[in-house]
Amino acid sequence: MPSVKPQRISSTDTSLLVEDSVVTEKTWNVIVWNDPVTPMKVVEVIFKKIFGYSNNKCTQLMLQVHHEGKSVVWSGARDRAESYCVKLQVSGLISTIEQA
Amino acid sequence: MASKLFVRRRDGRIEVKINHIGRAIIKEAFDNVLQAEQNPDHQWHVSLNGPIDPSKDSDSPLSMFARQREISTNAELAAMTVEDEFLNDAEAWAWLTTLQVALRSTVQSFGILDDEKWASAASDVQGYVQNLQQLLFELADVL
Repeated sequence: MPSVKPQRISSTDTSLLVEDSVVTEKTWNVIVWNDPVTPMKVVEVIFKKIFGYSNNKCTQLMLQVHHEGKSVVWSGARDRAESYCVKLQVSGLISTIEQA
Repeated sequence: MASKLFVRRRDGRIEVKINHIGRAIIKEAFDNVLQAEQNPDHQWHVSLNGPIDPSKDSDSPLSMFARQREISTNAELAAMTVEDEFLNDAEAWAWLTTLQVALRSTVQSFGILDDEKWASAASDVQGYVQNLQQLLFELADVL
């Protein structure tokens, strides 16, 4: 049976290492806007379903929407922000994105 | 004590305890969402297609397609189960999202965008909105 020798990676071989330079992507916010008719409980259930946040965080965000007129419910890369925004709109909430 | 419209059973299913009048209201809402998504001339069509990024006139075609497909899929599933006695979680979620889309579209089409407009809205519109609110509140309570 042939012996298998582990391959050694020389100290100069850095192709698998993370490079120092970091590409910075601009942050986008997903915003949910208040409306006068949506029941608060419904907003909480939608936040929980879409983002998987805790009950406390869902309540906190819902109250911010209610009292301040809007809330930033998620921040991050543009593609994901757009995707979350579509999910919120599909769920019937008023949602937009904006650059942070 | 008033009985509930939706009851979570021990086997996980959600029992729908709504009479034929209530189901007719729900069916009308589901049918309207389906028609609005497909027909650009429908009164609710504009409210279903608000831009994701307000700094632009319209969304990317991919986002528009994703939204249209998901709203239609939810509304179709909801419409197919409108006479069912029991719902599973996926069907109940389709009901919730479609009823919520119907609620938002109704208030937007009547220009009810703040408390003042709500207070001055016609009584039949208020009654319809309150029916949808009650259904949504009770459905959210069992999800």
